[in-house]
Amino acid sequence: MNAIEVKNLKKSFGDLQAVDSVNFAAAQGEILSLLGPNGAGKSTAISMLAGLLVPDGGSATLMGHSVTADPQAAKASLGVVPQDIALYPDLSARENLVFWGKMYGLRGAALNQRVDKVLEIIGLSERQKDRIGKFSGGMKRRVNIGAALLHKPDVVIMDEPTVGIDPQSRRHILDNVKALNKQGMTVLYTTHYMEEAAELSDHIAIMDQGKVIAFGTHAELIKLVGEQTRIDLTLNTESTVIFDAWRNTQGVSRIDAENGTVTLLVDDSNLVLPRLFEAAAQANVRITSVDIQEPNLESVFLHLTGRALRD
Amino acid sequence: MTILDIALKDLLRSFRSAFAVGMMIIAPLFLVGLIYLSIGGGADSASSLPGINVGVVNADTISANSPLEHPLGDNIRSIFFDESVASWITANDYADETSARAALDTQEIGVAVIIPSAFSDSFFAGDDAVQILIISDPTLTFAPQITENMVRAVLDGAAGGGIAIQALIERQDVVDPAQLSFALETYSAWFINFQRDLFHNPAEAALVMVAPSADNETEAPLQKMLGLMTAGQMVFFAFFTGAYSMMSILRENEEGTLARMFTMPIQRTSILAGKFLAVFLSVLVQGIVLVVASHYAFGVNWGAPLPVLLALLGQVIAATGLGIFLISFVKTTQQAGPVLGGGLTALGMLGGLFTANIAMPEAFTMMANFTPQGWVIKTWKLVLAGQPLAELWYPFAVMLLVGVLMFAFGARNFGKRFV
Repeated sequence: MNAIEVKNLKKSFGDLQAVDSVNFAAAQGEILSLLGPNGAGKSTAISMLAGLLVPDGGSATLMGHSVTADPQAAKASLGVVPQDIALYPDLSARENLVFWGKMYGLRGAALNQRVDKVLEIIGLSERQKDRIGKFSGGMKRRVNIGAALLHKPDVVIMDEPTVGIDPQSRRHILDNVKALNKQGMTVLYTTHYMEEAAELSDHIAIMDQGKVIAFGTHAELIKLVGEQTRIDLTLNTESTVIFDAWRNTQGVSRIDAENGTVTLLVDDSNLVLPRLFEAAAQANVRITSVDIQEPNLESVFLHLTGRALRD
Repeated sequence: MTILDIALKDLLRSFRSAFAVGMMIIAPLFLVGLIYLSIGGGADSASSLPGINVGVVNADTISANSPLEHPLGDNIRSIFFDESVASWITANDYADETSARAALDTQEIGVAVIIPSAFSDSFFAGDDAVQILIISDPTLTFAPQITENMVRAVLDGAAGGGIAIQALIERQDVVDPAQLSFALETYSAWFINFQRDLFHNPAEAALVMVAPSADNETEAPLQKMLGLMTAGQMVFFAFFTGAYSMMSILRENEEGTLARMFTMPIQRTSILAGKFLAVFLSVLVQGIVLVVASHYAFGVNWGAPLPVLLALLGQVIAATGLGIFLISFVKTTQQAGPVLGGGLTALGMLGGLFTANIAMPEAFTMMANFTPQGWVIKTWKLVLAGQPLAELWYPFAVMLLVGVLMFAFGARNFGKRFV
């Protein structure tokens, strides 16, 4: 049995098809990342899994429980870390965790022990009596995660938990995700940071415009672009002549231009770069900067959509 | 259990919010405290009511054929200079209206009584064109009303005497004009003495002014007045608390904590029930605190415990119902501002919360019946007047009905939005 199983999930808002027949699955104990730009449909998809939105079609199960037919059982196996901080700023870290623990049905000594443990996991035992409103953004994020772990859920959904925080807190959160996963929790992690998806995930589903456009391990996805290298060039002038020349250059498989930067996917940068410079010289165009990137999820996304992930 | 957990969390948050505590507890007590101080620090020290500075312009004269020996203006003037009121009224003579107005402008006096020339003759001739003018500092509330009341009392006495003399003339039992004059003077003197007894302290004067039909005449009138004012403030802020507490659902919606609760294995109806219970408990705690605090701090005598509990319960039900009803139409905390500020203030005014101690025109009283606040303050008035429990069931039933109906509508609206 998969911990998470999503089949043909659909959701639209008016004319906008936010999630369009999406399929993905995560086995128990693995980390699945949903990677995509803002507006790709990641948050809508997980909102349906979390019971916040009712799907227009398709099905979704958590630990075998349908999120629509048996929502309480599905929710009992789930911990959700929302994208924005969803805590009470006027309550202390401990008071927040105690309240959320009660909402998961914990009581008495079991609740207190679990709160102690979670405070230890998120590294805030020393600050447990301080009000959330006094915490830094990173500390709030950690409590935000902790509140989802109180009932030891089988599945944790994390919706972009590292947005807008300092590198140190980000590192802490990523390490926590790995540690939770080692304890057997299945993690569904949404992000638009390809580095996080690459570092954490057993499987990655790349989403764009409401659809899963690629699914696989990191290595499998990289293979989609044929292990090509990405070269970003900036020029002193815009020239259709040079674009045509480069497009026909041996070893160049794709060329795009946007905002004064020309992006090329090439087989071997060592061989292709001299040809690019030669063509530029013949067209009387000066190359002002060169950036070479080995194949990564960014190039996969570019390869699949023709757009950069950050767009 | 989850319902109670949610409610207790909301209560904890409310009582940690300086704004909430300020509006729920401190503001009503502060306002009542100001009133308490403004009327001299309490019902038991009614004689310490701040002194009234009255300026009198007495230009009244009588014609040669008047049955009076002295102008009526002299009688009116004398009552402000009488030693029986010297402890709380300081009176000064002014030559004319201009100088009296100047004294008012410089706050030498708080009230000016202008008695025009030939007032006596006009008065007995039934000529309404010549009238006594009472001008006052607009910031004062009690002094002008007490002054007007004293003048009116003297005039009522004179008018009564006039009617009696007229009756004697018509019966032709007395024909000697000198005897007529004597009879009128005797009657006036008696009436003025009677008024002196009535006005021997400001509390009695205030009693005449604010509660002419008070049932419990043994109770200090200022205490009764303070009780009514406190009740008005308490009811106003109870309804504020009802709406403000219900706003927590909007706040939680904006903070994301409501959505987080929805991802947990709790029925959404339980979450809403917890929010509703929090509103009920907030208004209840506020009411208990205000009743107890106003009793011990300002000596407000609320009356027998059972009627107080019934009125308090009705207040809590009505305020909870209206709060849930109003906020159910509001989408954001920003939108809630005008509802709290404007809507509740307007309803409070229509309900008579700010005029609880003043006899209002019948139309205004009727209008109050169309607001929940009107029924709540009506119940408190009965409680403060010492009415038995049996008299409270009717207004309580109305409060209950209104509260439950509004709760039902509000809960339905919230259900549509969140469940």
